[in-house]
Amino acid sequence: MSLDFSPILQSWQFLLGGLGLTLGLAALTVLCSLVLGGAIGLARCYGPAWLRLPLVFYIDSMRSVPVLVVLVWTYFALPIVTGAVLPPFWAGLIALTAQIAAYMAEIVRAGVESVRPGQTRAALALGMSRAQAVRQVVLPQAVVRMLPAFGSILSIAIKDTAIASVIAVPEYLNRSQTLAGESFRPIEVYLTAMAVYFITLFPVTRTVDIAYARLAHLGRS
Amino acid sequence: MTRQNDEPDAHVVLAYRDVHKQFGDFVALAGVSMEVRKTEVVCLIGPSGSGKSTLLRCTNGLESIDGGEITLDGQVLPRHGRGMRAVRQRMGMVFQNFELFPHMTALANVASGPLTVLRLPRGEAEARASALLAKVGLADKAASYPSNLSGGQQQRVAIARALAMQPEVMLFDEPTSALDPETIGEVLNVMKALAEEGMTMLVVTHEMSFARRVADHVVVFERGTIIEQGPPAQIFDAPLVPRTRDFLSHLGWEG
Amino acid sequence: MNLHWSVVWDNAGALARGTELTVLLTVLTMAFAVPGGILLALMRLSRSRLLSGASASFTELFRNLPLLLVIYAAYYVLPLALGVAFSPFATALIALGCNVSAYNGETFRAGIASIRKGQSEAALALGMSPWQAMRVVVLPQAARRVLPVLASTWVSLFKDTSLVSVISVGELAYTAMLIRSRTFRVLEMLTAMAVIYWSLGYPQAKLVDWLNRRFGVSE
Repeated sequence: MSLDFSPILQSWQFLLGGLGLTLGLAALTVLCSLVLGGAIGLARCYGPAWLRLPLVFYIDSMRSVPVLVVLVWTYFALPIVTGAVLPPFWAGLIALTAQIAAYMAEIVRAGVESVRPGQTRAALALGMSRAQAVRQVVLPQAVVRMLPAFGSILSIAIKDTAIASVIAVPEYLNRSQTLAGESFRPIEVYLTAMAVYFITLFPVTRTVDIAYARLAHLGRS
Repeated sequence: MTRQNDEPDAHVVLAYRDVHKQFGDFVALAGVSMEVRKTEVVCLIGPSGSGKSTLLRCTNGLESIDGGEITLDGQVLPRHGRGMRAVRQRMGMVFQNFELFPHMTALANVASGPLTVLRLPRGEAEARASALLAKVGLADKAASYPSNLSGGQQQRVAIARALAMQPEVMLFDEPTSALDPETIGEVLNVMKALAEEGMTMLVVTHEMSFARRVADHVVVFERGTIIEQGPPAQIFDAPLVPRTRDFLSHLGWEG
Repeated sequence: MNLHWSVVWDNAGALARGTELTVLLTVLTMAFAVPGGILLALMRLSRSRLLSGASASFTELFRNLPLLLVIYAAYYVLPLALGVAFSPFATALIALGCNVSAYNGETFRAGIASIRKGQSEAALALGMSPWQAMRVVVLPQAARRVLPVLASTWVSLFKDTSLVSVISVGELAYTAMLIRSRTFRVLEMLTAMAVIYWSLGYPQAKLVDWLNRRFGVSE
């Protein structure tokens, strides 16, 4: 078996564009998930009681349904319901955000709950309002403990964008498939894809591992 | 007068000759030589980090030594493999943090050595374990898990667990340091009873009154070396070395 | 909007067979990945540089690749590289098995590492061999810490089996999408697919929560 990487070298701009889209989609997904998931997580901890049940239902539903299913449903079925056509990229962003925001909400909740209730009581005893106590006392402690989990979210997001290839988002895996079909060089194309994803993801997971080790001693306060 | 002086020919169980041990740049043992005779209780005292615990851990091979030799009954200790395991079966070890196995009852903890290592039939191993639990005064706790026992009770189970292997010598690594003050006494009483039965014991301890009352021989460590050793009367009442006196007065020992 | 939910009932048999295959894939993958993970963890903790290096490389590789890419690579590269043709189902098992083994390996390693050194020292001091200390003292304690993590890996795996639909393994997602393209009942079939996954996955997710409360160790 002889390997021939020349089709890949010839198409490097095509592939690089795909990688750009992968990273762009992942970054947008993380950003949207941070906002949505953060709001849901805080609402679950501090929101009105009637809101908690639907939020828990949403989070647990996203934990039980595959990303692929959410993606395919958003792309193919949602437009039938709304009547508006969704371009693949936006369908991908919506579906990935719906999934990852649920994980983010759980991370935020765990972070907030890891701060001892005594901290809030102490802040209230100082005369702070509930919102001030959360903002100035609870969140700063919680965020530090959430940092490594944020990193894992980034790496999950990058990996999950590959699934958007199924709805023809022209990200890196999708472009690899196109190139594999055109060049008849699937081995080389997929080996290259493995190298590219590994090189992209390894620094992220490594940093997360180190961050977990560093922060381990903080534990529960 | 101690037994060591009375019986110069008493059988030497453990002998250390110029033992060296280093952790990176830190010299833990800088040439330690001493002996432990049969039925003798030897207490190792000295500031923390002075090498007492390291000597104990080197004795049963939890740490390897870098120089010198340790002999058991005149035979140089093997450092690896089956030989070392056979040696460990002849020494019981009691740890500062008890290290009871949390997923086993007190009885199962005591029976674990005979069952797993000696491969005794379960009935026999458990009979031995029950007898030992009774001996340390915990017959009624046989079915309890370690998390339901007090620190003193856990340490007594740990002593029974070590005794279950019918060791020739018992090694105690600060057995009361992790205990609440009110439970220290029960552990020391078990150890004292063991000493009176004639068990050979090597004890690292900060309990000076125990060393004073029970030890036949006291060894004072500082920075990986022995600065003084002798009978308790000498060490506690008339130390020859000024630094021994400094160490003891630092602990508030007034003799 | 004109919905015909009868398409779901008409194809209930096919969907049931797809669901069966999804469950079978999950069970078989785990059956490979638990021993695989234990093996990886023991290799990683062994004193041999070669074994621990091999285990670390395997683990890092599969932790850092999108599963979908692993599935494609197994499908296109393995037969050409090895000269053996695998069925899509076998390919799916290999890809999922490698991925989950890598995660399980990390889980077991963390579980074993979480048992303090004194425990195995106490076992060694009793005269146990290193393997006896591992089997009698360390592994039973590690199991409690490992169980909740394994359970949540199980749920992820259950969901991830949907990805092997891209190599035409006839599990639930593939079956539902096939019926969709045959009948053009897009909304009905895709919704049915989501509901089936949800109804199977939801109790599992709740079970994981329960296991975490029961056995979980607060970090």
